[in-house]
Amino acid sequence: MPEIFIDDKRYEFEGSPVLLQFLLDVGLDHPFFCYHPSLSIPANCRQCYVEVGTPVPNRETGDYELDENGERVIRFFPKLMPACKMEASDGMVVKTHRSSELVKRGHKDVLEFILMNHPLDCPICDQAGECPLQIQTYKYGPEGSRFEHKKVHKPKRIKLGPRVILDAERCINCTRCVRFTEEISQTHQLAIISRGDKNYPATAPGREFDDPYSLNTVDICPVGALTSSDFRFKARVWEMNQTPSIDVTNGKGANIDIWTRDNLVMRITPRFNPNVNDYWMPDFGRDDYRRMNENRISRPEVKVDDTRIKSSWHNAVLTFNEYLSGVNNKEILGIGSAFSSVEDNYALNKLLNRIGVSELVFTPNIEEGSGDGFLISDDKYPNTNGCRLLGLKEMNPAGLNKAISAASVKVVVMMEDDLVGRSVVTAEDLKDKKVIYFGSNNNETSKLADLVVPITCSAEHTASYVNVDGRIQRTIPAKETLYTNRKLNLEMSVGRLDRYATKYDNWSSDDNRIDCVPAWEFIENAAEQSGQPFNFADARDVFEDLSKSIDAFSGITYERMDDELGVVIAGSEKQKVTSA
Amino acid sequence: MSTDWKSFQPLLIPKIPNLHKIDVYEKNGGYKTLKDILTSKDHTPESVTNTVKAANLRGRGGAGFNAGLKWSFMPKPDGGPRYIAANGDESEPGTFKDRQIFEYNPHQFIEGSIIAGYAMDITAVYVYIRGEYRSWINMFQKAVDDAYAKGYLGKNICNSGFDLDMYVHSGAGAYICGEESSLMESLEGKRGYPRVKPPFPAQKGLWGRPTTINNIETLANVPLIMKNGSEWYTSIGAKTHPGPVLYGISGHVNKPGVYEYPTGMLISDLINEVCGGMRGGKKVKAVIPGGSSTPPLRGDQLDGVRMDADSLREAGSMMGTAGMVIMDEDTDMVDVLWRISHFYHHESCGQCTPCRDGTGFLEKTLIKIKNGEGETRDLDLLLDLCTQIEGRTICALADAAAWPVRYTITRFREDFEKRVKKSAFALA
Ligand SMILES: Cc1cc2nc3c(=O)[nH]c(=O)nc-3n(C[C@H](O)[C@H](O)[C@H](O)COP(=O)(O)O)c2cc1C
Ligand code: SF4
Ligand code: SF4
Ligand code: FES
Repeated sequence: MPEIFIDDKRYEFEGSPVLLQFLLDVGLDHPFFCYHPSLSIPANCRQCYVEVGTPVPNRETGDYELDENGERVIRFFPKLMPACKMEASDGMVVKTHRSSELVKRGHKDVLEFILMNHPLDCPICDQAGECPLQIQTYKYGPEGSRFEHKKVHKPKRIKLGPRVILDAERCINCTRCVRFTEEISQTHQLAIISRGDKNYPATAPGREFDDPYSLNTVDICPVGALTSSDFRFKARVWEMNQTPSIDVTNGKGANIDIWTRDNLVMRITPRFNPNVNDYWMPDFGRDDYRRMNENRISRPEVKVDDTRIKSSWHNAVLTFNEYLSGVNNKEILGIGSAFSSVEDNYALNKLLNRIGVSELVFTPNIEEGSGDGFLISDDKYPNTNGCRLLGLKEMNPAGLNKAISAASVKVVVMMEDDLVGRSVVTAEDLKDKKVIYFGSNNNETSKLADLVVPITCSAEHTASYVNVDGRIQRTIPAKETLYTNRKLNLEMSVGRLDRYATKYDNWSSDDNRIDCVPAWEFIENAAEQSGQPFNFADARDVFEDLSKSIDAFSGITYERMDDELGVVIAGSEKQKVTSA
Repeated sequence: MSTDWKSFQPLLIPKIPNLHKIDVYEKNGGYKTLKDILTSKDHTPESVTNTVKAANLRGRGGAGFNAGLKWSFMPKPDGGPRYIAANGDESEPGTFKDRQIFEYNPHQFIEGSIIAGYAMDITAVYVYIRGEYRSWINMFQKAVDDAYAKGYLGKNICNSGFDLDMYVHSGAGAYICGEESSLMESLEGKRGYPRVKPPFPAQKGLWGRPTTINNIETLANVPLIMKNGSEWYTSIGAKTHPGPVLYGISGHVNKPGVYEYPTGMLISDLINEVCGGMRGGKKVKAVIPGGSSTPPLRGDQLDGVRMDADSLREAGSMMGTAGMVIMDEDTDMVDVLWRISHFYHHESCGQCTPCRDGTGFLEKTLIKIKNGEGETRDLDLLLDLCTQIEGRTICALADAAAWPVRYTITRFREDFEKRVKKSAFALA
């Protein structure tokens, strides 16, 4: 296997990796700004210098030339080389700042230049705390500044588009944002304008940066030059907790991080998954934090004499069982939801099956042609394939409408899906029927229900979803409900303040904890109340149960989903989502 | 020097009235060399390349690289398009010689380009001309149209089956677009950001295809070599840097202008004999030999220094574009250096950090010194900054910005010390 010597230590490698990436991959910290593993390499920041030498092959023998001591002769490049523009090659000798004063000086020199025109406004800059420039300046930068002149002034607070704001003075001209619009989103909406130290990215005159992926540039901007107009000034990074999860706003299931503070979701950012979304996600997925915070259904509601009132959980369970047992099982229609998780659909289906109701029906939410073949799918729900694999009965909207409106149906049990809002059914269709609605947010359908069961949203539960490509992935709770506690639930993430501060510094408010439970938990309670518990203590139990009883899920576990960055379910990758 | 410069007859811009007209050019033997090459069996693309290589024609655009050798880097033709980008961006301060060719002898350059095109199996030649040269662009376009009309450009040139197109492209006012890879980006309609090399233009040039970049004057030499042979050519001027060259001389001399002489001229001859001596009989204080990026020489160190790569290297400078700036004893080198630094600060494309911000740091420090607010440690700072810039960037503009600073300060330190206060502390 080819070998490379870095700071006198030997490493082996395969292929011809980018030297900078190789350094990072073997755990050697190295400063850089412009390089990004998923973008082209412009080598413009000049921060990643190393000294590089190669052995000298002997043309005749094919071996490497040796000196009088029998050591390989190494020919060093006469200049400092950017590690991002070098490929590892056999026998290469690399000196980083750990072993070369020249490299150390090189790193410091470049930072001195970058900082000379960079505003000293970290205390009011949103990027502070997660800023590559700030971090690398601490690690590799000069101690003070020798620059005693006026900094270059450039425009500030430029609204590049509806979601992104630019502070041109903070920009270090790495061109990551420009390359993103050229190479990834391919809208070509950004370009660097002007010249020299007056450079900054801009849109064409009169045009907006309304790229549906525009906020990714905020993530990859290595400084606070690009900020999200929605998130800026709302929270400091160190006040938030970061929890890995899945985007449920469309069928792709981009991997995300959910950032919470005081039990409110502050922002959503993409999380790297090379098999799904790489480093990116669509802008609208980030807006989903509103759904997690606002307009939530908290505490069960029941209809008494045409008025809906809040109810206790005990009463809600009793009402639920009463509705189901009050009619013939043929008069009950169970409706699953491609918006809800595999676990919740499974639990409801299992319960209804047991009392003789046939399979849940569901109708996918597909807007033909609205996808872009990249990270926005035609399918607007995260779990259509999950419903199919569970064996739910797929119907088109007209079919579902017919099934619901049938006079024989007296009780409708709906998993979260705003069928009225989606115009699949009307209030008229549901008249004279008892409607049970499991939901996390108030909507047109919940308004009409006779029993509303408030359930956790994707930021509050552990649950799995099967995306349009047949990949099953899971969420991890990021936000507490009234009944969960981040200190007790070891899966929930801890932030810096959780770890190091007093309890008065963090999570001081109970205001934002919603009175809700996962749907499967309510169903378990209902089963138990009727004397036949399933014995589901947590989501893991539900999943284990379904993976045992449904072939498609057999052998799949939460651990595999975590370790393998989601698991493709055999056979389902070919399944095309259609509106049929 | 083997030729006596006083009897030298200009070859690039011969003294023939109306030579820019195609008929006059043809009457004086123009395009004959091209026809010979295209139609006689004695010539192959390889033989042409080898002749130019043997002539040791060194690039006149600044770097002085052997043109024939550069041509030989082009990969074997694969049926796809291949290009020449002829560099007439001519924006380096002190340089104004290519425009003489556009004005007085455009066809010799066109003929040279076609021969080069034949040698490298080229599809099209792009002639990139400095945008401010509006009237020269128009003049040159006329020459190209005439060459098309006479069948020297276009399809089946001189009935040889060889096709070549020539396009004239106007720059838009950026010095950096004279740098070869930036020039290609600009031709492709993109922002003039130099490319990181490798890949080199011969591997991946314009639109990703093999491309050779040559200066206008370089290509104008090609018909001479092909007509008279490489031996004849190497007998002109300096041994290791032969041929005729256009000296663009400006500054405090009595007769500034563009003069054609062999390479290897004594700088003192150029000043005293060719340009009629210094204005007002003043002493020479400094000479910039080849455009503002080349290190200035002291007037009292010019003895025996000749205008060729070897002699100038020994003296501590470079041939560059042979755009010479002669300055007399009244010149303030602080002002000169500030003006040069201002240029590079203004023209940096801003792509890489040491150049984008370093050039500004240099200029701002020089303004401080110029305004009498500097200290001795600012001089050390400037030299330190040069070390932080040189050799650390994507293209050579940053070096071009740093060298004048380094060598003006080290060679004319007394001018700077006069302007600055003594520092109480050394540089951090
Ligand atoms: C910043 C910069 C500006 C340049 N400007 C010019 C120019 O205006 N004209 C030119 O011929 N070469 C210029 N060059 C040199 C070109 O990059 C290239 O070396 C040259 O055109 C090659 O032609 P030659 O080999 O015939 O000299 C410049 C180089 C740099 C680094
Ligand atoms: S705005 Fe940010 S990402 Fe874009 S070039 Fe500037 S520093 Fe780089
Ligand atoms: S050295 Fe200067 S001009 Fe050249 S690429 Fe870098 S910033 Fe641009
Ligand atoms: S990371 Fe910017 S030059 Fe290497």
